[in-house]
Amino acid sequence: MKINRRRFLKTAALASATTAAFPYFYTQKFAKADESDEIKVGILHSLSGTIAIIERSLHNAELMAIEEINAAGGVMGGKKLVPVVEDPQSVVRVFRQKAKKLLLQDKVVAVLGCYTSASRQSVLPEFENNNGILLYPTLYEAQECSYNCFYTGAVPNQQLDDFAPWVIDKFGPRHYLIGANYIYPKETNREWKALLDNHGGETVAEEYAPLGHTEFATNINKIASLQPDVVFSTLVGDQIVAFYKQFKQFGITAEDIPICTPITTEQEIKGMGPEYALGHYTSFNYFQSVDSPENAEFVARYKATYGEDEVTNAVMEAAYFQTYFLAQALDQTGTTDADALITEGLPGQEFQAPQGKVKIDEKNHHTYLWARIGQAREDGQFDIVWKSEDWIRPDPWVDLLYPDKDCDFTDQRVIDRIKSGDRDRSGTIDI
Amino acid sequence: MGDAVLTQFFSGFSLVAILIIAALGLAVIFGVAGVINMAHGEFIMVGAYVASVVQSGLGGNTFWSIPICFVAVGLLGLVVERTVIRGLYDRPLETLLATWGVSLILIVIIKMIFGTELHYVGSPEMLQGGFPAPGNLPFPWYRLFLILLSILLLVLTFVLFFRTKFGLAVRAVRRNRSMSEAMGINTARVDMLIFAYGSGLAGVAGAVLAPIKTVSPTMGFPYAVDSFMVLVMGGVGNLLGVPVGAAIIGEGETILAFLFNSVIGKLLVFLLIVLVIRIVPRGIFGYQERTLGHRR
Repeated sequence: MKINRRRFLKTAALASATTAAFPYFYTQKFAKADESDEIKVGILHSLSGTIAIIERSLHNAELMAIEEINAAGGVMGGKKLVPVVEDPQSVVRVFRQKAKKLLLQDKVVAVLGCYTSASRQSVLPEFENNNGILLYPTLYEAQECSYNCFYTGAVPNQQLDDFAPWVIDKFGPRHYLIGANYIYPKETNREWKALLDNHGGETVAEEYAPLGHTEFATNINKIASLQPDVVFSTLVGDQIVAFYKQFKQFGITAEDIPICTPITTEQEIKGMGPEYALGHYTSFNYFQSVDSPENAEFVARYKATYGEDEVTNAVMEAAYFQTYFLAQALDQTGTTDADALITEGLPGQEFQAPQGKVKIDEKNHHTYLWARIGQAREDGQFDIVWKSEDWIRPDPWVDLLYPDKDCDFTDQRVIDRIKSGDRDRSGTIDI
Repeated sequence: MGDAVLTQFFSGFSLVAILIIAALGLAVIFGVAGVINMAHGEFIMVGAYVASVVQSGLGGNTFWSIPICFVAVGLLGLVVERTVIRGLYDRPLETLLATWGVSLILIVIIKMIFGTELHYVGSPEMLQGGFPAPGNLPFPWYRLFLILLSILLLVLTFVLFFRTKFGLAVRAVRRNRSMSEAMGINTARVDMLIFAYGSGLAGVAGAVLAPIKTVSPTMGFPYAVDSFMVLVMGGVGNLLGVPVGAAIIGEGETILAFLFNSVIGKLLVFLLIVLVIRIVPRGIFGYQERTLGHRR
């Protein structure tokens, strides 16, 4: 068959028409799902690939929460939450495909998912174009807020604002900054340096290691010759393990120079062996050692479900309570309508989480969390040496760096812009 | 400042040792059998997991896991050679793909057995801590152990190649395969044993690197990259290329990282490698050889 220009155009037109109509057919077929006694919830975490290590634990925590909610009678007067699980294989492109599938084909009411910023940013356009809801549990660099996303992990002000003065006060003003070479560590260090300026500290050096780089003898040598009071680390993944190990092997202990970080959790300590993390400090909202009845139950149930060897961590705790946020919002609004959930159901939602009482901010879609500082001990758990007196308001545009920006979905300008169908669905405004 | 430079120089040695240990197995296999083993990094990874089993299951330390890993990963290499590589010796591109496939399979198998979380391997009691060295940091015993081990492995490999009958056969096969066959050397057996030996060395690398780095299913890739870099720099076909390539890359990287930072250090070393490939494509110790009957 000879393909000439006209035939090509005809075929192409037909093909694109079919593709365009495709979502419509699906809509027809699944429109009735709302009236059944099941409510589909998407779970979008990598179960294979490089970041499956941490994402599987988020997946587990969310499934456990769904089970608990169903066992307690479900939502909206007896309807069951049904998880629709997809594995995006740690590949950013696949995240987007799977998100689209969950939204258009499965018609899930909301998706609990993503871990890295890259994956969140790749799926967000799908949620914005199709008016879906994403609940995102990771601590992240902030500086964004989308109408279609709720952020239940910590933003920098919740982990750093109290940590910096505490560290300066306790150990001294001279800080050596080491981080992985990508956006999160760089943004965190910007904030940390601003905090140091504010509280009379100084940066003696700021260095980055390429992702995957696990040889730190050079950095440790520089640390030894600069003799800072504190090492502030934003290394990630297997870098953490290698750095702590080599730090101790070169004979520097936590008493000499403590490593302070907003990243290292029980999970990494388990991977390196507790003797290497001993005495170093982490700032987080949640530690497995938090002393509350909710946490005792959470840890016990997680271990009973997934194995005695498992440890819990801050991100999975957020994954756990965000599932409850969703269930409560569904109960309260009595509908699965996305706009109703986004504007009425989820904002202001409170829950007695393992870390303490948490709440979604009424204005900026981020979450009020508690701040804690933990010191690693011999058994790989943390001694909580400091805890905030109250929950801490999330500030996605940190005042210190962005005094003239804020995020407010109750601002009339934002409401009007989103109602008008504008492509820009962020709640960021200039003040 | 002078102290820091001294310390830097010493820690550079330990990186050189790590590179030698990681690259030696690859060099042996590539140099003799002519197979580019893309699964080399994963062989190291399997070695690290065997070491973690030796530690947690049998209670043995690194000194135990070195011979056990050598044998275990050597056997794994033997099996891979017999089943996958054997039929592909004359097709370099296919061996590349096949060994890459092997690497993916190994990652998945390890994940199925051990899960995806990081595993913990400690260093032996007697090698913990360090001794006072010139410079501003004590030098870890464990790194001294790595340096000595890398020298030992190099010497053992040289002895095997230049002082044994098997080594003579290996060198003959390397130079002229069909002639060696005509002389009665069982070249298939030489290939197989060399592949097993090279794999065993990768296993040893995994055993000794586990205590200073991370043990996870995806840990192998960076080592494979570093090892290839050492070979490209030093040249294949001559065992001397390994220590020389490792020395240039290792010391270069640590010194540059000290002068600038790790990111720029890595960048400059990559640049240097590109330059070397441009000027001496066969690497510093590579040479044009008579390849009559050599499998290509």
